[in-house]
Amino acid sequence: MRLFFLLSIILTGAAPAAAGWKIMPAGTAASVVDEKLTVTPSQRWNRWSSRPSDYGEIWTIDGLSLNELSFFAGIPSGKTIYHDRQSKRRPLPKFRSNMLLTDIVELFESTNRIVLQTSLFEVGETIPAKLSGHDAVRFRYSYAIQGDELKRNGEAVAAIVDGKLYLVNFVAPAIHYFDRDIDNFQKLVDTIKIGG
Amino acid sequence: MTKNTLLFFAVAALMLSPLASFGASSSATAASRPLPSAIGYEPQDEDERGLWLQMDEFERDLKNSKLLIKDPQLNTYVRGVLCRTVGAERCGAARIYIMRTPYFNASMAPNGVMMVWSGLLLRVRNEAELASVLGHEFGHFENQHSLQSFRDIRAKTDAIAWLSLVPGVGNLARFSIVGSLFKFNRQMEREADLISLDYMAANGYDPMAASTIWGQLRGEMDATAKARKQRSRKDMNFGFWATHPNTKERMEYLRKAAEKKGSVGFTDGAKKYRKAMTKWWPRLMDDQIKLNDFGATEFLLQQLASEGWTSDLLFARGELYRARAKKDDLVKAIGFYRQAIAKRDAKAEVWRGLGLALLRSGAKVEGRAALRKYLSRDPEADDNAMIALMAGSK
Repeated sequence: MRLFFLLSIILTGAAPAAAGWKIMPAGTAASVVDEKLTVTPSQRWNRWSSRPSDYGEIWTIDGLSLNELSFFAGIPSGKTIYHDRQSKRRPLPKFRSNMLLTDIVELFESTNRIVLQTSLFEVGETIPAKLSGHDAVRFRYSYAIQGDELKRNGEAVAAIVDGKLYLVNFVAPAIHYFDRDIDNFQKLVDTIKIGG
Repeated sequence: MTKNTLLFFAVAALMLSPLASFGASSSATAASRPLPSAIGYEPQDEDERGLWLQMDEFERDLKNSKLLIKDPQLNTYVRGVLCRTVGAERCGAARIYIMRTPYFNASMAPNGVMMVWSGLLLRVRNEAELASVLGHEFGHFENQHSLQSFRDIRAKTDAIAWLSLVPGVGNLARFSIVGSLFKFNRQMEREADLISLDYMAANGYDPMAASTIWGQLRGEMDATAKARKQRSRKDMNFGFWATHPNTKERMEYLRKAAEKKGSVGFTDGAKKYRKAMTKWWPRLMDDQIKLNDFGATEFLLQQLASEGWTSDLLFARGELYRARAKKDDLVKAIGFYRQAIAKRDAKAEVWRGLGLALLRSGAKVEGRAALRKYLSRDPEADDNAMIALMAGSK
């Protein structure tokens, strides 16, 4: 999701100057979020050196506005999905280890509505899934933000493992890019192993 | 974002901010000039023509905005309130755009584009309060305050050109950047307030509503602060609330001015307002709940429930408490869902909320039963496969 990019701009007034990218080659198992996950992509991705929180990292194929893949791993109870940078004025909701999987969907929606500052955020199909063998929830969503009303679609898969939240999220413009890469995302999710 | 959009928001922000540090002259609306609300009014000089041109282009974009609430009934209703407030002969100058934005705000551009945010509709309690805000924006428009401020800005800096260089920022963020640059002065705010009061009194709306609304906003800010264990921002100058600070002073002078208008023959139109908004409140309340502002949301629910708790309001309250889920919040949420169900017109989602709250608090058998009721009432729900698994029905 472009929100981390947006946040960076809002907070610093410019795109992060020192942002760096690392190629994540196809077919090679990659360690993600401080070795909390491993994933084996079937195509080449680029990993961003800027991180959305202590528990997350962001990848892209063509650039964040065209496709954004984010991994969140091991978020403990009481923490937010993204950095809670505006915790006084617009605090983000916190993950709790006693949440149900459907609560995670609501947590994700609320978090993104606040960060993206939009009410045009709708959750669609929500189904049971597996993440690294654990019970998970898979859900689709779409949103548009003020001033940049390109519709974006997203899909995320989330599980709670040992009281910690694991979430993988893919978002891309509804026109062309989401449909082009969603299968690729789903295949990538199937390769995820929690615990490295 | 297009340059037009930018400029619009720059100008929109002009209308949203008080306490200016620069002294705009308020004498620009000389009696000899036609009012912009007059039928067939045309821009009078180069500045105004330029501003209109930009605004017209922005308006073309606005018509296609996904944020626009197009519901004809709601639009007709809000227009009706404006027309009753400022008079049928004047309101034709305004084109109203209701935006799905969950904060308290309205604005009017010099070419007659009036934007009303859905958060405003959730917060005002009656027609008179809505009229006071619409009349206020119309007052800025009629007195050409934005044009005056625009000239001031142009004289000082090419700030708008500078703004167009700021990349990738959402409009709301841009609002606060722009808002810090361009401000209406205190005199303009007061002028627009008093114009609105005159309109209201002349057309039968209780002018005291203009003061009451600021009391409510202050109450909401207190409620937000209390739930977050912060100091209330009601007397601070920041963000959206910076658009109209000095709420206390404003509340006072509006009250005094309203008292002079007497109290005979006015209505507040509370019943009509409630009827017009019934369909929209659940959606707007859902947007509000997802802002993670427990105190303000509970405050607004109490305000909406002043005439009694409906099943929709009880459901919303259940959702609010279930989302926070602190201490005994889940127990309370379960109670609200059950009260909603007792109203007998509860929608399917009430059973969903009840079932999830019960499951999370460990009452598995009851929780699953409630979820199965949800599925039987809404078998096509987007989350039916997930809920079915949780309900143990697969």
